[in-house]
Amino acid sequence: MLRNLLDKLEPHFHKGGKWEKWYALFEAIDTGLFKPADVTKNSSHVRDGIDLKRVMITVWLATFPTMFFGMWNVGFQANTIMADMGMMAQDGGRGVFIAMLAGYDPTSIWDNLVHGAAYFLPIYMVTFIVGGFWEVLFASIRGHEVNEGFFVTSVLFALCCPPDLPLWMVAVGISFGIVIGKEVFGGTGKNFLNPALTGRAFLYFAYPAYMSGDAVWTAVDGYTGATMLSVAATAGVDALEQSVTWTQAFLGTIQGSIGETSTLAILIGAVVLLVMRIASWRIISGVLVGSALLSMLFNNIESTNPMFALPFYWHWVIGGFAFGAIFMATDPVSAAMTNTGKFWFGMLIGVMVILIRVVNPAFPEGMMLAILFANLFAPLIDHAVVQGNIKRRLARG
Amino acid sequence: MSKTWVTPGGVHPPENKHQSMTQPIGSLPIPEKLVIPLSQHIGAAAIPCIEVGQQVLKGQLIAEAAGAVSIPMHAPTSGTISAIEHRPIAHASGMLAPCIEITSDGADQWIEHQGISDYEHIAPAKLLEIVANAGIAGMGGAGFPSAVKLNPGRQRPIDTLIVNATECEPYITADDSAIRERAGEIVEGIKILSAILNHPHNILIGIEDNKPEAIAALAPHVEGTGISVVVFPTKYPSGGEKQLIYILTGREVPAGKLPADLGMVCINIGTTYAIKRAVMDGEPLISRVTTVTGEAVATQRNYDVLIGTPVSHLLAHNQFDQQACSRVIMGGPMMGFTLPSAEVPVVKTTNCILAPSYDEIPDDEPAQPCIRCGMCAEACPVSLLPQQMFWYAQAQDHDRLQAHNLFDCIECGACSYVCPSNIPLVQYYRAAKGEIRKAHEEKVKADHARERFEFHKARIEQAEQEKEAKRAARRDAAQQAKASPGAVNSAAANGSSSAADIIAAAQARAAAKQASPEDQRAKLERTIAAAEQRLQLAEQKLAEAVASDSDKQPILSAAVENTRQKLEQAKSRLTELAE
Repeated sequence: MLRNLLDKLEPHFHKGGKWEKWYALFEAIDTGLFKPADVTKNSSHVRDGIDLKRVMITVWLATFPTMFFGMWNVGFQANTIMADMGMMAQDGGRGVFIAMLAGYDPTSIWDNLVHGAAYFLPIYMVTFIVGGFWEVLFASIRGHEVNEGFFVTSVLFALCCPPDLPLWMVAVGISFGIVIGKEVFGGTGKNFLNPALTGRAFLYFAYPAYMSGDAVWTAVDGYTGATMLSVAATAGVDALEQSVTWTQAFLGTIQGSIGETSTLAILIGAVVLLVMRIASWRIISGVLVGSALLSMLFNNIESTNPMFALPFYWHWVIGGFAFGAIFMATDPVSAAMTNTGKFWFGMLIGVMVILIRVVNPAFPEGMMLAILFANLFAPLIDHAVVQGNIKRRLARG
Repeated sequence: MSKTWVTPGGVHPPENKHQSMTQPIGSLPIPEKLVIPLSQHIGAAAIPCIEVGQQVLKGQLIAEAAGAVSIPMHAPTSGTISAIEHRPIAHASGMLAPCIEITSDGADQWIEHQGISDYEHIAPAKLLEIVANAGIAGMGGAGFPSAVKLNPGRQRPIDTLIVNATECEPYITADDSAIRERAGEIVEGIKILSAILNHPHNILIGIEDNKPEAIAALAPHVEGTGISVVVFPTKYPSGGEKQLIYILTGREVPAGKLPADLGMVCINIGTTYAIKRAVMDGEPLISRVTTVTGEAVATQRNYDVLIGTPVSHLLAHNQFDQQACSRVIMGGPMMGFTLPSAEVPVVKTTNCILAPSYDEIPDDEPAQPCIRCGMCAEACPVSLLPQQMFWYAQAQDHDRLQAHNLFDCIECGACSYVCPSNIPLVQYYRAAKGEIRKAHEEKVKADHARERFEFHKARIEQAEQEKEAKRAARRDAAQQAKASPGAVNSAAANGSSSAADIIAAAQARAAAKQASPEDQRAKLERTIAAAEQRLQLAEQKLAEAVASDSDKQPILSAAVENTRQKLEQAKSRLTELAE
């Protein structure tokens, strides 16, 4: 029945039809529901099971552990603080939403999840709607289809936002990420920066008060604290270890951006991505090796800067390190494409993130900038790898 | 067990080979009409040597080879030539090409033919001639004339003969079944090859480990012959010539070179069978083993099919279900192409007719944007960068494409197979190769025209200058004459004497021409001999260029054509002279 309706509507969307401009939207709905009729019959005739849709959906699903844990953690943090401060309820629309479904008990998983959802879902919805608007707009003008890659961009962007970010900033951030980070370069596959990170970096520099790492991100008004990284940067490793244990940081029951706190939840997603061979193990191991080597080097340098002493296993579990290494750095579009290049690309990220965190006093968080920096260098790395291969082969004769 | 090497990249598509191996090689009733395309191979199309309405016997020559890089065609059965015209052939574009149609008389009567059993005492050149006359071209896929391949020239001695029994593409079992049932004859064919190549040191049969029955069938026949069967792990595409050579010997054939440059020759195992039939039974290549498979046919098996049998005939005898079939593919699912119609004939390179159901090979999803995941680069057996080439192919950036070694692409389709965005990568490379070749041809033509134009301009200028000089001389002479009238006479005398000289010389030349026809004939014969030599050389070069897919092809073929014309001119003059 739906098929018939779509078939009847189709002529309107073709060239000359009254809704010609909306063909992309029609196409997206049509092929989303049914198999397209106009297909090519070319070699190779057989294909393996992995296609773009599946890749993107898998990445999207791989973020789910992080997403749900993030929601729970946002609620858990908020409820704990509220219990400490003696607050009874959130006000405004969120308060109504929470009151409808749950209470404010920090020991109840459900209460925490609902409380977190009250913060995460609006962010995600705004991201999705605003980002989706730009996607459809550009697809309509260009006359191509809306791509599943957007699912990934939007969920990653939403997950790396602080929970209390004003929604209009979310809208501005994702707009910048999608339009400037991706569409102006020609859309999916042609961007050289990760769109989600581009959007986040924009917010970071445009509204540092809301995004920068020092002020803590908790879903409770009037509460301030320090992030793990700023604790380490100002007071040193001992103070860090007093405030939270490594296990806590690994599990993610700490404050931070929605999706970035739990290394464990991120690792679950990582296993999925690695088993499906979607994320490149070369990039991830490059990041780990690069960061471990440089932080070990810094550990051996006597310095008044307490960050010098932070061991690599702490670096790995705090801030956006794990999230960036697994979900952001492995974005194939903006990463290096040669196998050797992928490893060096990861190494560059690993080295840069430690360098920024340790040596740069202005930014306690370095993952985002390190990845964007490495994105810019990816083509150069590839070029060097290709030239190196050519030289080696010529030398071999 | 000899050592094998591992090629980079490669994929493991589902093999789907068992379906067609449940029954032995079958045979089909002779179709009413057979269509034999004149070009079933790489090189020049054959030239028909029969006329419409003529009776032919099975195995009779119906088209002659056009030059060295070509093969002759033979009648697959006895009957009447009913047409020589353009017909659709097995080509992805559905193009028409000249074909000979034979209406079978059902008698299937052989022409008189005779084989040689003691090939060891025959000169390799004579054996080579038999192979060439039998119309044998590589039966693995590309269809390169075997006689050309087996004649690499004296400067390149062959020390390794590789027989390709890899058959790495899914579904295809033509070689597998042929080995199981005809191992003895195949090994005999390999021995003939060995004799032609002056007994190379190493004779290797390369075969994937998914054919244990075929390996077992070969074992008793190769015992004590010095031929070794080398088994290696199954991976697509191991059966590419350069891939197989690397797997078996660890040596890479450089870009633009031939295996013969490394002292190797690589021959498909089906071809060895055809060579055995040609030499020992005197039968030209008129049939081959073809796999008919896919879920849209009721019986999936191998057949010994006459060349020229319409695909529709093959399908009809296997209860083909048109409705259930997503497309009819000639070749395998990786490199084969969709047939424009089922009326096209089976040719010498047709190893498989695949009629899959929609479940087996569904229609392709539309292509999505490239996300640079790099899976294609990991799958590429030639270590190219398919996604880079894809960008450049879209931009038609021919220089960059060539810089990324587009011409090393073997078009195996592994990149298309793994591409998550369903981009038909191979299609882009094939098209780009064609464009580059065409652009090159046009450039050659343009260069030619420019050279001619410049030469023409230079000649006109020179003529002008000469005229100018003459005028100046005349002016000077006139002035001098004015100055000293006495000198005029002597100048005039000089002039007349030189004119007389010229006339005398011309007369002498003409006389010489007429006086000694023997001399002329001798001279012409010398010219012809020289031209023939040049032609041979040029053809050899062309063959190499064709084999290595070089972009020099158009120039070389023009050179061959040129030389051939000159030769023909000289010959016709000689016959004139004789009359």
